[in-house]
Amino acid sequence: MSEDGTDSGRRRFLLGSTSVVGAAGVVGAIVPFVGSWNPSAKARAAGAPVRVDISRIEEGAIIGPIPAWRGRPIFVVRRTQEALAALDTLGEDVLQDPGSEQPEQPEYAQNEYRSREPEILVLIGLCPHLFCSPTPRLAIRPEPFEANWKGGFYCPCHGSKFDMAGRVYNGSPASRNMEVPPYYYETDNVLVIGEDGVNA
Amino acid sequence: MSDTKKQGFVVSALAGLRDWTNDRLPIVNAWEKHMSKYYAPKNFNFWYFFGVLSLIVLVIQLVSGIFLTMHYTNSAEAAFASVEYIMRDVEFGWLLRYIHSTGASAFFVVVYLHMFRGLMYGSYKKPRELIWVFGMAIYLVLMMEGFMGYVLPWGQMSYWGANVIVSLVGAIPVIGEDLLIWVRGDFLISGATLNRFFALHVVALPIILIGLVVLHLLALHEVGSNNPDGIDIKKNKGPDGIPVDGVPFHPFYTVHDLVGITVFLFVFCFVIFFAPEMGGYFLEPPNFQEANPLVTPAHVPPVWYFTPFYSMLRAVTVPLFGIDAKFWGMIVMFGAIAILFVLPWLDRSKVRSIRYKGWYSRIALLIFTASFLILGYLGTLGTSAPRIALAQFCTLLYFLFFFLMPWYTKKEETFAEPQRVTGRWITNKQLAITLALLAALVFLPLKAVGAEVTVELEPVEMDLRDEASLQRGFTSYMSYCHSCHSLQYARYQRTADDLGIPTDLVMENLVFGDASIGDLMQNNMDADDSNNWFGKTPPDLTLAGRLHSPAWLSGYLNSFYTDTSRVWGVNNTVFPNVGMPNVLYELQGDVVCTNNAEAPEDCELSHVAGTGELTPEEFDAFVYDMVNFLYYIGEPVRLKRQEIGVYVLGFLAILFVLVTLLNREYWRRIH
Ligand code: FES
Repeated sequence: MSEDGTDSGRRRFLLGSTSVVGAAGVVGAIVPFVGSWNPSAKARAAGAPVRVDISRIEEGAIIGPIPAWRGRPIFVVRRTQEALAALDTLGEDVLQDPGSEQPEQPEYAQNEYRSREPEILVLIGLCPHLFCSPTPRLAIRPEPFEANWKGGFYCPCHGSKFDMAGRVYNGSPASRNMEVPPYYYETDNVLVIGEDGVNA
Repeated sequence: MSDTKKQGFVVSALAGLRDWTNDRLPIVNAWEKHMSKYYAPKNFNFWYFFGVLSLIVLVIQLVSGIFLTMHYTNSAEAAFASVEYIMRDVEFGWLLRYIHSTGASAFFVVVYLHMFRGLMYGSYKKPRELIWVFGMAIYLVLMMEGFMGYVLPWGQMSYWGANVIVSLVGAIPVIGEDLLIWVRGDFLISGATLNRFFALHVVALPIILIGLVVLHLLALHEVGSNNPDGIDIKKNKGPDGIPVDGVPFHPFYTVHDLVGITVFLFVFCFVIFFAPEMGGYFLEPPNFQEANPLVTPAHVPPVWYFTPFYSMLRAVTVPLFGIDAKFWGMIVMFGAIAILFVLPWLDRSKVRSIRYKGWYSRIALLIFTASFLILGYLGTLGTSAPRIALAQFCTLLYFLFFFLMPWYTKKEETFAEPQRVTGRWITNKQLAITLALLAALVFLPLKAVGAEVTVELEPVEMDLRDEASLQRGFTSYMSYCHSCHSLQYARYQRTADDLGIPTDLVMENLVFGDASIGDLMQNNMDADDSNNWFGKTPPDLTLAGRLHSPAWLSGYLNSFYTDTSRVWGVNNTVFPNVGMPNVLYELQGDVVCTNNAEAPEDCELSHVAGTGELTPEEFDAFVYDMVNFLYYIGEPVRLKRQEIGVYVLGFLAILFVLVTLLNREYWRRIH
């Protein structure tokens, strides 16, 4: 009917350009549908930074898994001098990443205590293995799972062990240290968890 | 060289995949049967776009609907708030919602036009009776879809519309009352009803709908398409066995339909981005108020696509055989739809198309169309004696069109059908005369019964680009309104961002109590307390700017006057006997009613000079800012929506040029 060659170039051009523009339209139409899966304003509001008053945490004690940030449990521990001293004694032979080389913490927490201030430890209370919440075992004493326990966290799911800085022990199914969330001190006694703060 | 080789490889790989599949599933066969070797008459006109457009809208509704269910909460307590959550908090949620709400109306627009096409060209006549019957079933399911979908946002219209329609079940003699309770699952429309409607709307009915559409198309492709001439193209085949007046559907009608689809999308997107409420016809203002089983809105019109049948329901006002008028109204309403199913057996004409039918049929169709339109318009209005009389008359005409059809189609003299299909048949002049006649037939009776809508309020122009005004309005709202009212669907953060107010300023000055910046602007007044103080809870104002026009809001805030007979010592001419004190009294000063009018509406107001903190001009500016803010908060996305709309329409305009050229390129040698 119209297969003679005279207009085939024109036809091919029109087919091509219509297809390209049409495809662009389809992509554009997909944008709102894909976008609707992003966290909503409600989810973002619920995931906003949380404030914690640390004045009420006694030495050697923990608060957590409340508060939660973005639905994840947060551990805040005030470590004893003894516990801080014990951190030094754990090295390459016991821990997988004693120097916190892997990026599991903000820059300001990449130090031997994995925290801004030595005493106060802030962790996301989730095991990096399969995301169970480890149980705090803060006291320095022999435990069934580790005779030479220096305090830390023990994951009930598959037995991962972490020290008082959230660093993972050798021989654990988890292969990374527990994550330190972004946080800063609003005042000496108020922590804001979820934001790096201006003095980051 | 290697490029062509590579191309050759890809092509042969694809061909291989096609053959492999085809050995197991007849895809080539299906493609040929339904597309490339489906011969459609070459004289399809404008009216033949609406079939494929129905299909397009169906897809749009399915996709947008699926995405809406991901965010919607199906419970009486949370449904309304979840719709506002979609409109405000979900990224592009407003667009999903407007696509779906506009799509519902668009569905009925294209389906009505598609049905009218069938009516005009006799597409229901032998051998296409089944296509018509399936089509009518689709229409019926579509109406149920539309009705149940309208209930889901759980606004006042959702609730009371459902109440009115579901109550019809109760009109059935003997079993009605029990059946009604069973349908609702409660003694009133409630969460139980909402939940079952949701399940039917999103699961059951769509499955049935898709099944019926498949049947509709299979039946069509079995017997072939009708055309504006109503003659059978299969009677006239060439030596190759192909109808001489037929063209393969693909590519000729695929490129042709692309033009129609692009034009449709242009109009569709125009509504979505610039008039999603469509003047209150697609989204009715009272539905921006949450369902309240205790208070009926002043006027409960159904959505526009049900109004013709709703008019018929109301037109029946006399009981018969000792049974309620309500029951007979229901019979008439359902009868009006049921009779369409048997249309193929009512038409006794020798010819199919209105082009060759006689004058009786032509006049009957014109009168029928006019009656249907009049009924539709009347259904959007309240009733009065003359309007009911007109509705009764039009209902009668509607049924006479069908009841008399066997007689007039047989009796009249038809015109000779052509041997081959023809192009355009009606001249511009004839078309103009027909349309003018139709318009006269619709408007003159409506005019006679006084059915035009009157507007009294002074119009005001809002300006959402005036950030300073919005900021002042926000501040005034917070200081004068928020102690009793709330903006519980909007968030501080979003409002601060949109209005260009720094977050810390909002936190310090405007956020109440210990709320945080991301929170909803809830009210700090206990609902129980307010009930005791005011007799009812002061309404949430997030949607005040959608429930009421800016003109109404300004009028309202300006129209308080001293009336010592009222509890709060004030009354209002725009909202008579309002249950709220005049919180702006200090600012505005004293306003009195000078003519001792009986009803508040009739008061002539006069401001007592020198009594307010603000001069009348300052007060007007104050009110303007406040209303501007309420207008903004009613739909925070309004400006952005219009901005995006400009780009979308621009894009579609370019696409239109391309598809038009492409279509012309393919069809150049056909006509
Ligand atoms: S999840 Fe903690 S050890 Fe597996």
